[in-house]
Amino acid sequence: MIQISRLPYYGRQMLNWGVTIASVIVCALILPSRLPGMELLGIGPNWLLIWVVAWSVKRSVLQGAIAGLALGLIQDGMTSLHPSHTLSLMCVGILTASLKKQRYVQEDFISVALIVFGMTVVAETVLALQFSLVGDRSLAEIWTDHQQIALSSAILSSLWAPILYYPLNLWWEKMNWIENNA
Amino acid sequence: MDTLRRWWDRNWLQVALIGLVISTAWVARQTQGGSLFEVYQLLTRPFQSNPSKQELLTNAKVVEMEAKLQQVEKENQKLRELLGYVAKNQQQAIAAPIVGRGADHWWQQITLGRGSNDGIKEDFVVTAPGGLVGRVSSVTAHTSRVMLISDPSSRVGVMINRSRFMGVMRGKSGNKAVMQFFERVPDVRRGDVVTTSSASELFPSGLPVGRVESVNLSQSPAPEAVIALSAPTSVLEWVAVYPVEKNTDSETSQANSK
Repeated sequence: MIQISRLPYYGRQMLNWGVTIASVIVCALILPSRLPGMELLGIGPNWLLIWVVAWSVKRSVLQGAIAGLALGLIQDGMTSLHPSHTLSLMCVGILTASLKKQRYVQEDFISVALIVFGMTVVAETVLALQFSLVGDRSLAEIWTDHQQIALSSAILSSLWAPILYYPLNLWWEKMNWIENNA
Repeated sequence: MDTLRRWWDRNWLQVALIGLVISTAWVARQTQGGSLFEVYQLLTRPFQSNPSKQELLTNAKVVEMEAKLQQVEKENQKLRELLGYVAKNQQQAIAAPIVGRGADHWWQQITLGRGSNDGIKEDFVVTAPGGLVGRVSSVTAHTSRVMLISDPSSRVGVMINRSRFMGVMRGKSGNKAVMQFFERVPDVRRGDVVTTSSASELFPSGLPVGRVESVNLSQSPAPEAVIALSAPTSVLEWVAVYPVEKNTDSETSQANSK
């Protein structure tokens, strides 16, 4: 086991980014799979959204927006280019970052699960609005789909959120601590 | 100017990394997540089932019915030959495992574990036990993405098998679809079998699609029927991929117009 704090500054930064990017790749790879217990009405958790929330909770609005943009582009590539996920995930990043969680809630797990629940609903609503504007699906169908998708996805995402949030948060906190004490 | 340079000295790595991240994400978007799906296929390969298992599941009745169908098909072909039809050359199907489902729930997609290396190209037709499943929308070397006919943006030309009334079917999430008729008063009943129509350009004609579940003749602007799709996409593990053959009807009409 190497001592991370003994690494040179740039080495540490690279390692930090490497872990971060690897976690995004893992999220993107779980997305098309439907593992047992991860499915409700054929709908799975939205891992990229959980990642954006985990990232943005303790970061600035700009950082949240950039993460939303990057992961939105990836999810666009994995599904369909129009309508775009960049808008919905950027909304999620910006809103989560501007929540200022620490001021209101202390307990991490519960509050992150709650934020993910709310943000999933926001993200699916943004997508549904885009579908309504594009106009190749009927409005009634979009909004019945929206209810079903938003609810099952929100329940599953919020339940699975701690699994991703806990290790990532631990890692980022550790890196922060090392940076501040170096 | 000095503050800008000091800011740059402190943050150049961040800026460079953000640029790198965004451009990588952009590349992933433009290549339809190709490399991601390649890695996914590589990682899930040990967990994919093999076709022999699937064969075990087909029960004896299906085998018997298939034998009967083959007999009828052969008879049909002979009769066609007698009538002077040119026999279509039957192309070999490519068997492909389903390795992934849609990466978002607004789209009804599946990912197959075979790609351009196995001869799959865009627009190939995907079928399964039960009938039509969808169409290949993008291909990488070892994976391909299929847009299901239950996707709300998919449009398939279909026909009521009994009365030959035609219409357009658009997906409705789940295992349902809605068929919109061209005629004002179509002859359609609950339980009628629906197949792809001969007017369809994208799909070969006569592929089974599903059964009529309910009919709403008073729907405007055109009468509609809800169709329960016959291929159980949510439990399928293997599908067959066929090259697109242009419909013989549309080909002859094109030849006539020339």
